[in-house]
Amino acid sequence: MEERTKSFSKEILKLENIELVCDEICQKLRLNIKTELKRRGAIVGISGGIDSSVVLALATRALGKENVVGILLPERDSSPDSLMLAQKLAHKFGVKTFVEDISQALEGFGCYKRRDEAVTNVFPDFDPIQDKAKIEIKQTISQNIPNVFSLTIVKPNGTHISRLLPSKEYLQIVASTNFKQRSRMSMLYYYAESLHYSVVGTPNKHEVEQGFFVKYGDGGADVMPIGHLYKTQVYQLAEHLGVPQEIIDRTPTTDTYSAEQTQEEFFYQMPFYEMDLLWYAWENDYQIDEVAMVLNKETSEIQNIFKNFERKKKTTEYLRLPPIF
Amino acid sequence: MKEIQDVKMKILQYILEATSSIENDIKDNTLLFDEGLFDSMGLLFLIDFIRDEFKVETKDDELVVENFSSINSIAAFILNKLELKEPKKMIIIHK
Repeated sequence: MEERTKSFSKEILKLENIELVCDEICQKLRLNIKTELKRRGAIVGISGGIDSSVVLALATRALGKENVVGILLPERDSSPDSLMLAQKLAHKFGVKTFVEDISQALEGFGCYKRRDEAVTNVFPDFDPIQDKAKIEIKQTISQNIPNVFSLTIVKPNGTHISRLLPSKEYLQIVASTNFKQRSRMSMLYYYAESLHYSVVGTPNKHEVEQGFFVKYGDGGADVMPIGHLYKTQVYQLAEHLGVPQEIIDRTPTTDTYSAEQTQEEFFYQMPFYEMDLLWYAWENDYQIDEVAMVLNKETSEIQNIFKNFERKKKTTEYLRLPPIF
Repeated sequence: MKEIQDVKMKILQYILEATSSIENDIKDNTLLFDEGLFDSMGLLFLIDFIRDEFKVETKDDELVVENFSSINSIAAFILNKLELKEPKKMIIIHK
């Protein structure tokens, strides 16, 4: 929590001196990698999304493009746009890339088979070849109830069918799809170790603090240079650093399930702009009345959103804990 | 036909076992989420329990705080669903 010196406003998170912010992050990244970790460069997994793009741009600025390698890790369910945008990004920053399709590794782990088995338990007529599936939170964040996931399947004719996920199937779907992030982490460390580089992670502040990452998956990295930045600030940096506009304009997706799914419907339940301000207000103890007035919402809604934040932070503590010994 | 006290007792027993709570701490009107007794997984396991014990399925749109906030509201939700399944049987509700 920061010392509260400003009254709450919609502009409160706007970075005033972006060049200085970039300089500070880059200086720290150099110190972390070269001095503390004693590594020669940076490995960044690039997905064509905004966070990994900003991290690649920062790493390039901090260490020089010759000391940064971008790894593209598509699999069967990835959008083709992800690969195309990641390549465009690497080209823009002059960074060497490797493409590693992890679908075969995931087949080996039984990722797709285990996931589809759980989906079929819920929807016996699910056809993994033709139908697509995703999990999502149907409740609104302003309801004072913990989030529970529903499974949605999308038929070839576009029909959506949704059902509340029983615990067994929910856990099996999450555990099997988490093979994706963990396989990516393994491949990133292969490159890092073979070059004596560090793995630079890409989670932003919300992902870290709300637990929107996979333990030892995308949460497995040596350094996380944007782990303290709100999503709107990541966008500010993207504009400043010259990340391709197509990446900036793209709606953030999970790129994990076969059906298209935004991060908002999967996890956050509200637009980033609002979430940034509300999270900031919550963690800095702003008065609910003041926040409600600025954001033009009911105080009861803000109260329930704050309770939801508190629950998310508490229930995801396990993800952020190191091994206990 | 199930009576509300019987339903409430079964819910209480489940909560005590699932959350390692002390019986005296949980009243029929204790707010289960506000007290931090259930998180997302806890709620999901509770829904499983309701399905297995009372043969009551919870739908997406029934997942609202009014149905799950306390033992009172969970029991009312279960009995309402059972009444819809077996409308001819009388349900006795003790308040």
